[in-house]
Amino acid sequence: MKKFTTLAVPYIVWSALMLVLPMALIALYSLTNQGNTIISFSFTLEHYVKFFTDPDFLLILWRSFVIAVKTTIICLLLGYPVAYFIARSNEKLQSILVLSITIPMWINALVRTYAWIGLLSDGGIIQQILAFFGFHDVQLLYTEGAVLLGMVYNFLPFMILQINTALCKMDNSLLEASADLGANPLQTFLRVTFPLSVPGVINGITLVFLPAVSSFFIPKLLGGGQYFLIGNMIENQFITVGEWNFGSAISMIMAIIMMLMMMAVRKAEDRTQGRKE
Amino acid sequence: MEKKKLIEFRNIVKTWEDGTVVLKGINLDIYENEFVTLLGPSGCGKTTLLRILGGFLDTTEGSVMFDGEEISHKPPYERELNTVFQRYALFPHLSVYENIAFGLKIKKVSKDVIDQKVMKMLKLIGLEGYENKNVSLMSGGQQQRVAIARALVNEPKVLLLDEPLAALDLKLRKEMQYELKRIQQEVGITFIFVTHDQEEALTMSDKIVVMKQGEIQQVGTPEEIYNEPANKYVANFIGESNILSATMVEDYKVRFDDITFDCVDFGYKPNEPVDVVIRPEDIDIVEVEKGKMTGEVLSVLFKGVHYEIMVETVPGTTVTVNMHVIGNRDVSSADGKEKISANDFYIDIEELENLDDKEIIARSDAQAWDPETDELMSIAKVEYDLKNELGQYPVKFSTANGTTVERTIFVVNQPFVKNEKANEAIMAFNFFKTVDELLESQALDTDIKTWANAQGWKLSNEDQSIDIFVDYDFDPENIKEGVYKVTFSTTGREFKIHTTDYSEVGQEVGLTFFPEDIHVMSKMVF
Amino acid sequence: MKQSKRTFGTVLMTLSIIFFYLPILYMIIFSFNEGKSLTSFTGFSLRWYQHMLESQDMMEALYTTFMVAIIATAISTVVGTIAAIGLSKSKKIVRELMDQVNNLPMMNPEIVTAIGFMLLFITFQVEKGLTTMLLAHIAFCIPYVMLSVMPKIKSLDPNLADAAMDLGCTPWQALIKVIVPQIMPGIVSGALIAFTMSIDDFIISYFVTGRGVKNLSIIVYTMSKRINPSINAISTVMIVIITILLIVINVLPTFLAKQAEKPGNGKRNLIIALACTILLVFGIQSLKPSVGNGNRPFEGQTLHIYNVGEYTGENIISNFEELTGAEVIMEIFDSNEAMYIKVANGESYDILVPSDYMIQRLIEENLLQPLDYELLDCMDLLVPEVLNLSYDPNNVYSVPYFWGTVGICYDTTIVSEEDLEKEGYNIFLDEKYRGQIYLYDSERDSFMMALKALGYSMNTTDEQELQEAYEWLVQCVQTMKPEIVTDEIIDNMAQGRKALGITYSGDAAYIMSENENMGFYLPESGTNFWVDAMVIPANANNPELAHEFMNYVSSYEGALDNSSYVGYTSPNIEVREELGGPGGDYEGINAYLPRTNYEKDEVFFYDENTRKVMSNLWAKVKISASNAK
Repeated sequence: MKKFTTLAVPYIVWSALMLVLPMALIALYSLTNQGNTIISFSFTLEHYVKFFTDPDFLLILWRSFVIAVKTTIICLLLGYPVAYFIARSNEKLQSILVLSITIPMWINALVRTYAWIGLLSDGGIIQQILAFFGFHDVQLLYTEGAVLLGMVYNFLPFMILQINTALCKMDNSLLEASADLGANPLQTFLRVTFPLSVPGVINGITLVFLPAVSSFFIPKLLGGGQYFLIGNMIENQFITVGEWNFGSAISMIMAIIMMLMMMAVRKAEDRTQGRKE
Repeated sequence: MEKKKLIEFRNIVKTWEDGTVVLKGINLDIYENEFVTLLGPSGCGKTTLLRILGGFLDTTEGSVMFDGEEISHKPPYERELNTVFQRYALFPHLSVYENIAFGLKIKKVSKDVIDQKVMKMLKLIGLEGYENKNVSLMSGGQQQRVAIARALVNEPKVLLLDEPLAALDLKLRKEMQYELKRIQQEVGITFIFVTHDQEEALTMSDKIVVMKQGEIQQVGTPEEIYNEPANKYVANFIGESNILSATMVEDYKVRFDDITFDCVDFGYKPNEPVDVVIRPEDIDIVEVEKGKMTGEVLSVLFKGVHYEIMVETVPGTTVTVNMHVIGNRDVSSADGKEKISANDFYIDIEELENLDDKEIIARSDAQAWDPETDELMSIAKVEYDLKNELGQYPVKFSTANGTTVERTIFVVNQPFVKNEKANEAIMAFNFFKTVDELLESQALDTDIKTWANAQGWKLSNEDQSIDIFVDYDFDPENIKEGVYKVTFSTTGREFKIHTTDYSEVGQEVGLTFFPEDIHVMSKMVF
Repeated sequence: MKQSKRTFGTVLMTLSIIFFYLPILYMIIFSFNEGKSLTSFTGFSLRWYQHMLESQDMMEALYTTFMVAIIATAISTVVGTIAAIGLSKSKKIVRELMDQVNNLPMMNPEIVTAIGFMLLFITFQVEKGLTTMLLAHIAFCIPYVMLSVMPKIKSLDPNLADAAMDLGCTPWQALIKVIVPQIMPGIVSGALIAFTMSIDDFIISYFVTGRGVKNLSIIVYTMSKRINPSINAISTVMIVIITILLIVINVLPTFLAKQAEKPGNGKRNLIIALACTILLVFGIQSLKPSVGNGNRPFEGQTLHIYNVGEYTGENIISNFEELTGAEVIMEIFDSNEAMYIKVANGESYDILVPSDYMIQRLIEENLLQPLDYELLDCMDLLVPEVLNLSYDPNNVYSVPYFWGTVGICYDTTIVSEEDLEKEGYNIFLDEKYRGQIYLYDSERDSFMMALKALGYSMNTTDEQELQEAYEWLVQCVQTMKPEIVTDEIIDNMAQGRKALGITYSGDAAYIMSENENMGFYLPESGTNFWVDAMVIPANANNPELAHEFMNYVSSYEGALDNSSYVGYTSPNIEVREELGGPGGDYEGINAYLPRTNYEKDEVFFYDENTRKVMSNLWAKVKISASNAK
């Protein structure tokens, strides 16, 4: 038995090197100055100061959060009914539907996002459909709407699958018990089904919000060059500007904010599931 | 006092989508203030019937009347009955209080009334002070009580309980049985209780409904069901019993095991085949000469309050064969690097066609091994020339390296012993074994059965095998070469007896019982 | 009521399936489009598939994607399973700590994880490429494998291993024969997740790759700026492979279960599965294009080129390969700055094609090697105006590749010439054209425009002037609703989607040849006179072959192919005359023959400090453009 514990040792070393050290490096770069080499550096907080004193940067951060929140809300509103429908269908249909939601997730996210460019571009099929209904020359590509669409498209399956899992895990006898106690289907949904699916909803929110807030290729592909989110800012700092220290600082800020939010969400979840502890 | 009819099942038929029929036309009346138990093994349809009543399943045919009103098409939330679910189905996101208050809140009962009622319920189930507990952290028994309170607080006319005690451990289950009975008597409503546990049913019910494969077998009080089972199935399901095939010679006379006994039953056709049940506690063990039957004590098990004694009154079928114990006849290869051994064996001529290399190796117990490491090697070649007639035929076994041993196959026409009365037959062969093989055997009885190829079967159905016991009088620890008798036998008629008196295994005893202890039942019709 | 609910559910489900599959379907359909358009289907053709098969970049990307996914899945599944088993028996504190560590890549924004890996590899000077991509993929896949294996281990009877060892198994045998079969479902689903994650990954791969190693995502990202239907083709191929894989995964277990019912088939199934895997690996292997052989001067050698996308003639690479027998690997960069970061980090190429100012910077930082004129025979063929310029006096280091100016491309039906002449670059602040303009996503071109509009030198180092230019640009993005684009400007202007755009003269030439309503105007306040040239980095592996390539590109044949395909002005005298002159492809298109010897036109001058200031200010301009919405 003891022998098995040694099996973990190589991975512990590996993860220290490949998972912990990179984070430490980001922190180090974000706190130092001068350079793309580690040899000559001095500690400084100037990158953080630079970020937090510039209203433009803060606005970008704010807008990234706003669009992520919008994405999350839309995904929730669309995803819940779909997940509910899947969970209520018979077993065979259920597995087919889950599979058909999963298949697009297997196809590269970039490819799927790229596919929207053709659909949304001027003279594309969607514009033609809109024109048919009397909305002529609506600009679709390179708008916030396009970015939002791209995010919802990319992240909606996560929401559906998480909520669906939570709904499927729910014991059917709970619903019967509720009906037995006099609750009609709507009351059963509001008082039993929804409260019990909250963990799935929270997981779904996490899985949508997290990539949405840091996304950079969706805004770039569908929002155009003038559409900038915090993820684009980080990419820009590393790939184009070459200010790694400042880029690291932005990354740190984002990582820390996300971590705090996750902790808050988990806390809230514990409270709703409260009495378990 | 004439009780009011509350629920009527009228010819309920339920068919699943795949075509299996779970309920085959159930007719059942349930009265006010009754504790009714639906009893039967899993799959008998009892839970289905309950779920139809609860409104969770539609019937395929038939109607359900509740208080004189047809309710088959009402959804569950409009029915005036409540259910305690098998795994309780407590809402994990709600506290004990909120769980119990659930139904009242749905009905928009005012807050103070809810408070009052919930508290009263908590008192009834003995969980005062638990109202803010998380239900998923409670013990099974406590959850059970909450589930009952949650249902009862709505003041239903009927409470349905779907195997509510199945998940509890034995001690808790007993406790809850009394608790449920007490609650039912206190609130004075009808309980319909589903279980597969006959003891539970006997303890708690006013009325038991025994079901089997979608049909009701018997409806009655616990006493009626126990003492006057309607058929073999009910008798078997309720309590332990000795059930035998018998013939009703005439009224008040029943005959089994070649003896005619007095009984209290009448109204059968002369010589009608019937089933007879005698409860183990109704049989007494007496001295041989005082017994209505005699037999040998086969086993005695101490069961706490009583002994459970098995007595064989009619012996089984036997067959005796010769065991040839021979010396060691291993053959070594020239270089001493391998050894090979095998035995002669007998085989029935009818089995010849099934004989192949593998079977011959198994029957002769042919083995080859390395004497230094004791590691087994495979037998590479088996040579034989068998004709489809009686006689002796040589067989040669060789290893890959050519170490060879030669043995004999005796093809015989082995007769088997038939016992028409007991509907069985038994057969075994003479066999050859070395002293070493006998000494090395770890489970000698089983090995001897294998070596002798002993088999027993039902005459009516050759594929149905019968257990065989082995008897011999040699001392396996100190066996020498020679020929020994080995007897194989089946068990005959056995009676199970519950008594407080001890008997010795092997003792000859007499059995006695009163005429009223013999319960005659019609043969079941399938 | 039940009925209506059901109908609602069905409609909802149908709509969401359409939503999920419409883009995919659209992409598959348009991969068979004859024309280049992404919006109108003009006829069935396999042309883009052929294009894809001929594109070394794409085929290698496909190969890399699957290779990395398969290896990363295999390794992370084995390592993850072993680690999970080990951890399950470890002390609680170790277990909880490792849970936290494993959560890092899952709970962190992916871009943060990606940057972590990038900094790690750079700090420890691991050369970025296939290895780093593989390492990163393994690193982020293992936690997912463990996540899926752990619950299975937890539900195992803890005495199982003991029982096996009691019956004589060594710990290793207990692991392989007892524990692993029990947790197999967890391992399989873990492997599947790992495979998906790897094949789907873009962000991490994008930051940790190097040496031209690209997976499919990176190809799509870098190529998506200009319409290129071969992206649809390669995506379709990918979709087909994934769908087959998924179906096999979903059907195989039932098939195997049926097989297993017949006794003695277990081994055969294993062999079939193994054979399938081997076939798959070989199948993918065969995607990798093979190189023919013969007796040519540079047979078997490799030339690494680092160039801008869509910046080479259609046949120039294959002709050069044909001619020399060498294999050309061309990597594409987004911008000079992105290229610089890679080169400065020691990645090795044989030829770079940077712009003038970047060549100056590379020279200053000793990253280039002087040309060997013994090996060059092409300098006499070139236009004298593009030689001996300030960024590289006497062309010690560089051979011009393309050249031109930067000007205003405009729709002659919307923009009046009068306005252009009157306002020059300030037309970009003229609210008459609000919502009608494109800016080019490049700090130096944008600042050139702003500085020239303000009447300053585009090479100013005066921070005050730069600040004014910044404010000019901010005013532009805040009031004019411009779209900031890169190469998509070319196709969009050619289709007349907007009226005004800052473009390179070469792009303008292409636009004008496609759309006769378009014009090209060079403001009198002057512009940027630029040259993109070929240079050889100091750490080049094959300078000799690089010289050969320079000769070929500058020759009539190479230059003609280049210029007629790309549309940029050729430095080759003969080619420029032929294409721009009567009967040439660009006859009458002023953009093809750049203005030369105009005193207010300047060659960009590289200054580290100014560059930093500009790039920071430009990032801020984009941010305020974004915030202006």
